[in-house]
Amino acid sequence: MNGVLEFKGISKYFPGVKALDDVSFKAYGGEVLAFLGENGAGKSTLLKILNGDYQPTSGEYIINGVQKHFNSPHEAIEDGISVIYQERQILLELSVAENIYLGRMPSKKLGFIDTKKANRDAKKIIDDFGLPIDPSTKVKDMSIAYQQMVEIMKAYSRDNLQVICFDEPTASLSDAEIEALFTVIRKLRDEGKIIIYVSHRMNEIQQIADKVAIFKDGRYVDTIDPKVVPESEMIKMMVGRDLGDIYKELDRNTNIGDVLLEVKNVSSDYVKENSFVLHKGEVLGFSGLVGAGRTELMRAIIGADKMKTGEVYLEGKKITNRSPHEAQENGIVLVPEDRKLQGILANLSVADNINISMLDANSNQFGFMDSKKEKEVANKGIRDFNIKTPSPSKKIVELSGGNQQKCIVARWLSTNPKVLIMDEPTKGIDVGAKAEFYQMICDFAKQGMGVILISSEMPEVIGLSDRIIVMRGLKIVGETGREEVTEDQLLTMGMLGEV
Amino acid sequence: MEKLKKIKIGGDKLTMIAAIIVVFIIFSSLNHNFFTGTNIVNILVAGSLVGLVAIGHTYLIIAAQNDLSPGAVVAFSGVLAALLSAAGVPFGFVVLITVVSGAIIGVFNSFMVNKIKLDPFIATLVTQSVIRGFAYIICDGKPVSITDPTYLLIGKLRIFGIPLSVWIMIILIAVFGIILARTKFGRQIYAIGGNKDAARLAGLNPQRTILICFILMGILCAIGGIIFSSRMNSGQPAANVNLEFDAITAVILGGVSFMGGVGGMGGTILGIILIQSFNTGLTMVNVPSFWQYVARGALLLFALTTDYIRKQKREKELLEASMKNA
Ligand SMILES: Nc1ncnc2c1ncn2[C@@H]1O[C@H](COP(=O)(O)OP(=O)(O)OP(=O)(O)O)[C@@H](O)[C@H]1O
Ligand SMILES: [Mg+2]
Repeated sequence: MNGVLEFKGISKYFPGVKALDDVSFKAYGGEVLAFLGENGAGKSTLLKILNGDYQPTSGEYIINGVQKHFNSPHEAIEDGISVIYQERQILLELSVAENIYLGRMPSKKLGFIDTKKANRDAKKIIDDFGLPIDPSTKVKDMSIAYQQMVEIMKAYSRDNLQVICFDEPTASLSDAEIEALFTVIRKLRDEGKIIIYVSHRMNEIQQIADKVAIFKDGRYVDTIDPKVVPESEMIKMMVGRDLGDIYKELDRNTNIGDVLLEVKNVSSDYVKENSFVLHKGEVLGFSGLVGAGRTELMRAIIGADKMKTGEVYLEGKKITNRSPHEAQENGIVLVPEDRKLQGILANLSVADNINISMLDANSNQFGFMDSKKEKEVANKGIRDFNIKTPSPSKKIVELSGGNQQKCIVARWLSTNPKVLIMDEPTKGIDVGAKAEFYQMICDFAKQGMGVILISSEMPEVIGLSDRIIVMRGLKIVGETGREEVTEDQLLTMGMLGEV
Repeated sequence: MEKLKKIKIGGDKLTMIAAIIVVFIIFSSLNHNFFTGTNIVNILVAGSLVGLVAIGHTYLIIAAQNDLSPGAVVAFSGVLAALLSAAGVPFGFVVLITVVSGAIIGVFNSFMVNKIKLDPFIATLVTQSVIRGFAYIICDGKPVSITDPTYLLIGKLRIFGIPLSVWIMIILIAVFGIILARTKFGRQIYAIGGNKDAARLAGLNPQRTILICFILMGILCAIGGIIFSSRMNSGQPAANVNLEFDAITAVILGGVSFMGGVGGMGGTILGIILIQSFNTGLTMVNVPSFWQYVARGALLLFALTTDYIRKQKREKELLEASMKNA
């Protein structure tokens, strides 16, 4: 018999924020239930309440007729409830088997750990999942996607697994890896587990979800069937207004100017020699598979990695960027792809996070900060990007994931760059905010800024870019205009290096 | 940074003030000379050396660095200054050369951390040993007496009844505190302590900030060495062992976290007062010096435990929130 998970009147308050407001609904085993809602709608918070990470202010939840209460995620896992996050939560130095059986490794008579048995048992699970993994491999030697698989197998290895939740699990996965993840999710579904899947990517939701629960401003709206209710309707329910065809309605820049940035034979330890140009007012998309070298090329250009060969010209003048600082002074900035490791300063407030690239502009000649200017910059960022925060002095980590991302983008935009490079900038941003964000990109282009957009979301690259460059195997392999190309063609180029 | 600007008397600081009051009550009930004007001045004088070093540690530890070499550098600076003075170098130049040598030691420390990528603990442990060695080598292991009256005056001069060394500490704490809370450089220290890689991509220069922090520490130690030797009338190569121990304890007690990125100079002031009244108190109630070591260890353990509890709280609030708010 398939299980049932019922939320009953769950509310959760944080200082100044009502994250969840009287949420009641049911999730059923044997189907994948997706959560859809804007940034800060309370999706992650609900999962954290379910797995004992947060305690609800009021309300309760019932699994298969039994009211549950967990004081920590650990207790929840013991009881068969796991949440898989975008960031890995496994021990990199341990092997696959050791991670799966962490804290409950089988032992031999004298209390010695029975590694052989652990490997044997792990192998069985791996085979169940149909993956080519050796149980004795150290987790750190595996790709991020496989590390995530290990996490899922860890949850799966418990006989009592009842509920498994995924909170934006695909952000750093390639298409093939996402497909593998979906296969596993479908397998779990067919075994009757209760599955919750949180994502902002509509195409993923279409692929994997049997039902969609929609949230708005901390309240549960409804559960619908994505095969019956059209996407535009779902978006309307979560955003509260009609978005129309996001890309068609963009007010684009039609006036593309002279060459702004010229990159000649640039290489680093991580990427081969590459050349390309970017014009004033142009949005240049970079497409390719994860690992194609797009990030690495950009890092070499801004001096985050040492440039081994090549030259960079900005407005016809040769420039050298030995560090991101120099690049920024020259007017080139990069919004990095990994929010947690390369983006946020977890110890600081929203305002400080937005301001950190503006230290020179916000201080006087003696190095003293001008708090009025700091406030202006922070407030402008919060306004422009519609960042949901009770106040600018709130710690950035207390914001929802998508709102943290907006702070990071706001940080680099406040430097008013000539060339804006963005690496997966819409990761974790909800559809409504994405639409606004796309229009902002077009507006930057109109002001004459050159924008480079790296994105794994094909529709985004195609819909936004004036020109698209495709990379494969650390090299640029092709170039095409927006009008001429389809998703399939881009994908083929990315995989085979030809159209 | 709004929060950092005002010296906030939050929960942590209130606990500290309570702890200082408790220490004063206990020691004055055990020894009636403890809570007297003279003794408070004594505490401040003794605390001024710890204080100088603690200023440097406040910067370094907030930047997620550390330094175990100050005791040795202070001793070395004292001996060096005394030797130069004995060789007839005018006092102004003595100060200049000693301060420059302190700065060079700072450059060396940051070189090991920035370029050789050593852990700051290990790197500065190396320096501790090497510099202590040089302190003995340059004077052949014997204390060097000071005769220059200007030099000797530093340790004796009082302004409004308060010794010069205390004034110097107060001024430096104020200056460094304002820099930390109000300037670009202060912001950089916090950002780097929070996330070095992110700070670099945001256009900051973490290596340079770390370099400057170590140089400042070297300079503070040099100043400390000159003042201390003047008070002792001689440069002593064996002095100031474990000085960094007290300074780090003071800084951690004051709310700076070993993780980096949080805390401020206000807390350090309280930490200095607490640790120095504790140390002076132990001596005044005749706790045998061997036991004093144990007691200080216990105090550091206490500081680390509070840091740990605070960290747990913060980690729960911050780190987990950041990891999972995806
Ligand atoms: N630890 C916390 N302290 C204070 N407020 C918090 C905390 N965690 C979440 N919140 C607030 O609760 C609200 C809901 O956040 P939550 O992370 O659940 O949103 P979400 O739906 O997952 O959004 P996203 O799509 O951006 O990930 C937000 O306004 C957020 O700022
Ligand atoms: Mg979330």
